[in-house]
Amino acid sequence: MNELHKIQEIERYLDGEMTAPEKEAFESLLRRNPDLQREVSGHEAFLSQLRGHGQRQDFRARMNAIHPRAAAPAHQVQPAPATIVSMTSRRRTWYSVAAAASIALVTSLATMAIMQRSAKNSYTAKYEDVRRVLNNIQRSQNALIRDINNKNTGPANPGTYGGTCFAISRNGYMVTNYHVIAGADSIYLQNNKGEAFKAVSVFEDVSSDLAVLRVADSTFRTAPLPYTLKNAPSRLGQEVFSMGYPRDEIVFGMGYLSAQTGFNGDTLAYQVSIPVNPGNSGAPLLDTNGELIGIITGRQSTSEGIAFAVKSGHLKRLLEELPKEKFNRKDLKQKNQLTGLPRVDQARKLEEFVYMVKVYN
Amino acid sequence: MHIEKDQELLHRLAVNDDKALEIIYLEHYPMVERMILQHYGSADDAKDIFQEAMIVLYEKAKEGNFVLSSRLKTFIYAVCRRMWLKKLQSGPNSAPLPDDVEESADAAEALEAHLEKDAQFRQMETAMGKIGEPCKTILEEYYIRHRSMQEIAEQFGYTNAENAKNQKYKCLMRLKKLFFAN
Repeated sequence: MNELHKIQEIERYLDGEMTAPEKEAFESLLRRNPDLQREVSGHEAFLSQLRGHGQRQDFRARMNAIHPRAAAPAHQVQPAPATIVSMTSRRRTWYSVAAAASIALVTSLATMAIMQRSAKNSYTAKYEDVRRVLNNIQRSQNALIRDINNKNTGPANPGTYGGTCFAISRNGYMVTNYHVIAGADSIYLQNNKGEAFKAVSVFEDVSSDLAVLRVADSTFRTAPLPYTLKNAPSRLGQEVFSMGYPRDEIVFGMGYLSAQTGFNGDTLAYQVSIPVNPGNSGAPLLDTNGELIGIITGRQSTSEGIAFAVKSGHLKRLLEELPKEKFNRKDLKQKNQLTGLPRVDQARKLEEFVYMVKVYN
Repeated sequence: MHIEKDQELLHRLAVNDDKALEIIYLEHYPMVERMILQHYGSADDAKDIFQEAMIVLYEKAKEGNFVLSSRLKTFIYAVCRRMWLKKLQSGPNSAPLPDDVEESADAAEALEAHLEKDAQFRQMETAMGKIGEPCKTILEEYYIRHRSMQEIAEQFGYTNAENAKNQKYKCLMRLKKLFFAN
């Protein structure tokens, strides 16, 4: 039996390919020949070794096919397509995703709530009317003096406001802010010479925050108005000036147009960089040519030097609604007497037509 | 109950269920890669170690009497950790691997057996590498992929299966010689 034949026989025996008599003969040979026996078991082991080796190679190949999917996303959040990951890890992923999502939800809701509240707060805080509470200190001092003299006097009226208005006709029509005279019992105007006039509100427009007053005295007359109403919109950087009554004294202010819209994008108004203080509400805003371009209404309290003025176009629209027989529109269309004058002369001419508004309620 | 599920996966792995292999592979590889990357290893090291551990697992499962005493995850992690430790210690700049909480008795045992077998397999691998064509392919086709002699005869252009069979025996003898030579 040569080697080749022996292997063949052994293998046939192991594979069970032998016929029954062949097998019997081979087994009897095995029993008699321990060398052959050893060779058979050796061969068996060898074959299993060979098969194991093959299996390993096979298994490696299969793993290598899978590996790219496991390795590539290893540093990312989701290591594999969801369908392949078994339930335990999927559930774990879901837990963490759910936890992250709920944290994100709570955080964003809280942020929104806080932002909304602060936005609401700042909305009221940022915009500030510039009418003023008049003479409170003075009045309280007076009250004290009166107290000494006469103990029966009642408390002083605390709700007294002041603002500014200016003439829009020669016969006593004035324009101021609606918020200045809102809820007024009686309105008094006072010029820079200290003369006072009783006035009534004849027209109020809440949306543009404008009000038209008329001096109660029908014989009231002023000199021809030195300024005119500007129709065309003004441009950024336009130098402007204003006169108003933040104090009991008329105050001149100078600045420039800084934006085409007012507070929070209000298209009815300009943003003006000009010093304004409580009491400036209703003050006229003129450009360097002496044309009226707006009416001061308020300021942004959170930052310095930001004031707002209603555009003159809205004043014009308002004036068109006034009764023609009483309100002479031509008064605002005279020759502009301020054009080309030095600033001090402009101020001197303008101050006659600017009044302090005192409101009692 | 997790262990039962893992055991079930192992059974499927033993019968060459690709899906089971995929599940085990994808679920556990990232963990091993993290461990190895954290301990002075590269992604390639991680791949080698993990696949080696998978082979341990596979062969254990194939034996049929392997019963998990811990979770599959614990087993794989422990095997990989031990292998990596060994590799680190054999390397030029050996660094200590921090002790881990989880240990697996299975892992230690399996690894021991694996290392013994591994030497033999490496011999087989070198032998197969030396034997050359067409013996290598014939043997692989017959003993590993279980193709019939008839198919092999056709593939290699032998006139009949008997000739192919003779060739195969010759190859097997050469392989045996190569294998036992070293």
